[in-house]
This record gives sequence, structure tokens and C-alpha cells, in this order.
Amino acid sequence: MTDTFASPAAIRIDCGPVTLSGRRVLEPLALTLAERRIGIVGRNGSGKTTLLRLIAGLVAPASGGVRMGEVDPFADRRGALSAVGILFQNPDHQILFPTVEEELAFGLTQQGRSRREALAEAHRALAEAGRAHWASAAVSTLSGGQRQFLCLLSVLLMRPQTLLLDEPFSGLDLPSIRRMERRLAGLSQRLITISHDPAALLGTERVIWLEAGTVRADGPAARVLAEYRAEMERLGAEDADADLAG
Amino acid sequence: MLTLTSPVETRYHRWSAGVKLAALAGFTLVLFGVDAAALPPLALIAIAAAYLAQGTAFALLGLRLLRPLWPFVALILVWHLWQGDPGRGLAIVLRMLAALAAANLVTLTTRLTDLLAVIERLCRPLSPILPPRRLALAFALAIRFLPAMALHLSHLREAWSARSPRRPGWRVLVPAVLAALDDADHAAEALRARGGTD
Repeated sequence: MTDTFASPAAIRIDCGPVTLSGRRVLEPLALTLAERRIGIVGRNGSGKTTLLRLIAGLVAPASGGVRMGEVDPFADRRGALSAVGILFQNPDHQILFPTVEEELAFGLTQQGRSRREALAEAHRALAEAGRAHWASAAVSTLSGGQRQFLCLLSVLLMRPQTLLLDEPFSGLDLPSIRRMERRLAGLSQRLITISHDPAALLGTERVIWLEAGTVRADGPAARVLAEYRAEMERLGAEDADADLAG
Repeated sequence: MLTLTSPVETRYHRWSAGVKLAALAGFTLVLFGVDAAALPPLALIAIAAAYLAQGTAFALLGLRLLRPLWPFVALILVWHLWQGDPGRGLAIVLRMLAALAAANLVTLTTRLTDLLAVIERLCRPLSPILPPRRLALAFALAIRFLPAMALHLSHLREAWSARSPRRPGWRVLVPAVLAALDDADHAAEALRARGGTD
């Protein structure tokens, strides 16, 4: 995984609202994402995860859509697999298979590799990560941090040009966070990272602040994060988080 | 079945899963198909020898796995004793024990993935209506999510007990079912994120 991704195609979002079970989660959006390190901040329920799922092609907007080069990730699932990979916030929502090697091999077989090739590749990736002994381990025996790492490795194996990370550090202990940060920093893919913690996004080139399903601010990380932090402190001084969604 | 595979590597581990399953099928067929008084005890002795050949610890493990059968053994023996035909009852019990011990021996010495590969191969003629990869996926998902559901249920029981002096009983079943449906939604999305079921 030392190969470089010369220039991942820009992601163009131009779409109508996204409605999930009757609730408007995202307002109409027009965004072009071309930077290599992008952060998304926002409060709980602001639509961050839905935006990520929209980019990944897992939900469809009412009109318009998302394009990465020629690929529409919602309509063209086969093309989407090499264009974009998503790391869910909860690893247990991502892991589909009972053993580590099967989990790793699955995405590769979906990309058209034979089962034998896929398993060999999975073993190679594990060995490279110094975890060859994980291969036949049951996923249920892994710790939270180890599961998160397994999910990241499964997605990386598919070599998508853009990686979508939904709160990649939530639920990890400090050493696991540092290891994960190191691993992510070394990647040449485009990373779009969701976080509610401004400090985690300081290294990004561009930060998008979502509020109530719409872009509240969009620009260089330092400026947007400072504005975001100031607003969160202001809200925190009042009675926060009493409104119900809907 | 999920955790039955023996951690002790035996000679039988190296035999092909297909051969073992075919032998098991043949063994069971003869055991129940041939009506000879000498057959059931001989079959049981043969299976016991197969276990003992891999050491007493392994044989004891095999014996322990037969323990859940004892109520049935007792029931069958008592019934036939009452019917005045204890010999017949004994033959049935010996057959049952031999068949189960043989099946356990195969399960103990075969990796799950190898068993599934055989099933996939056998189901290949059905591929127009049941694509083999979809079948394999169904097996894998069941193996992944059955323990996850059991874990979820135990969490719900704990959450109940933490705030109630009464035992949770059936009341946690509804949230457990809802959680399972939720898990299914998440699994469907994870599946779609990595290429769906084709």
C-alpha cells in the first residue's frame, strides 16, 4: 500500500435534498471536493454521516447526484468500488464475516479477483501490517481498536481513490488513535474525515462545517475550525441539545 | 457447531472434508440400513477406536460431546424395557451413539470453511436458482451474526438487570429482535458499500 494515487478525480456533488424515512437530513448541496485532506465538522444530527453516505453512493438524493470522474457511485456500484471506500463509525456495522481473512478477502472478490488470489492478498496485507497471526482469528475475539484496524485494512485493500472516514477515532484508546493517525497520514489517497472534535482535523487542507443539513462554512481548516469552536463554546454556555430531530 | 472444531490437530484434520463427509454418509447409511444384530456394537467400537487412536484426551472430548444425549438414551431404554423388548432398545441406542460420535468426529476435525466449500460444491447443480456465492455469503453471515445476536441479547439482559430487581425473561426479546433487524440494515449497507451480492 505504498503506491501513489496520482490525482484522484474531483468529487462533484450537485443534488437536491436527501430525505431519510420522511425526514430531510440534507438540504440541496453544490460542492466540488478536490483537495487531498478534507474535514467535515458539525454537531450531532447535522447530516455529516449522511453526506458521507451520499458520497459513498449508499443513499440517493431526490434529484441530481454525485460524480467522481465518470462514476456515479449510487448507480454504478462496480465503478464506485475503486473510486471510494467508506469506514463506518461503528466497526460492528461494517464487519460481515466471521474470520479476519474472509473479511479482508470479500472486497477483493467483489472487485473480480478469484477467491484464492483474494485470500493470498489478504494474508500479504496482514503480514505487511505485522499481523499475520490474525488471519484465521474470529472477528469476535478482536478488541474495538483491532476491529477498527481490520475495517480500515479491508477498505484499503480495495485501493479506492478516496477514503471516507466516519469518526475514525471514536471508541479507540490513545495508543490506538496514534497508530491509526500514523497509518492514515501515510496514505496517498484522498481522505474525507468526519469529526466533531476540531483538533482531529487541524492537519486538513479544507474543512466543511455542516449545520442542519446545509453548509454553514467552508474554507481553510484553521479559519473554519476557529469559527466552529467559537460557536460551539457559545452554544455550550447556553442549554444545548434540547431540540428533537424532525 | 460454530466452536466445535478441535484445537488439537489430529491426523483426521489432514483428510479432505469431502472424503470425510462421504464416509460419514456411507457409515450412517449402513448403520441404519443394514439390520444385523452385530452391527451397532461393532460400529460403536470402531468409532471409539478412531477417537482413541488420537489419544485419551481427544477421546474424552468426544465422550463429553455425547453427554447431552443421555436423556434420550434413558427414554428409549425405559420405553423398550416397558415394551418387553430391551434388545431392540439397546440396538437403537447404540446406533444413535455411533452415528452422533461419527458426525462429531467429522465436525471436530474439519475446518468450517472446508465444510462450507464442500456444501458449495454439492449445491453447484442448483446454481441457476441458488448462486453458489450467494449461498456461501448466507452461511458466512449466519456464522458472523448468530454469536453477535447472542451477545446483544446478553447485553440487553445486563442492561435490564442493572435497573431492575426482577429477572429479564421474555421481555428483552422484542428489543433483541428489533436490534437484529437493525443489524440486518447495517449489514445490508456494509454489503452495498463493498459491492453488494453479485
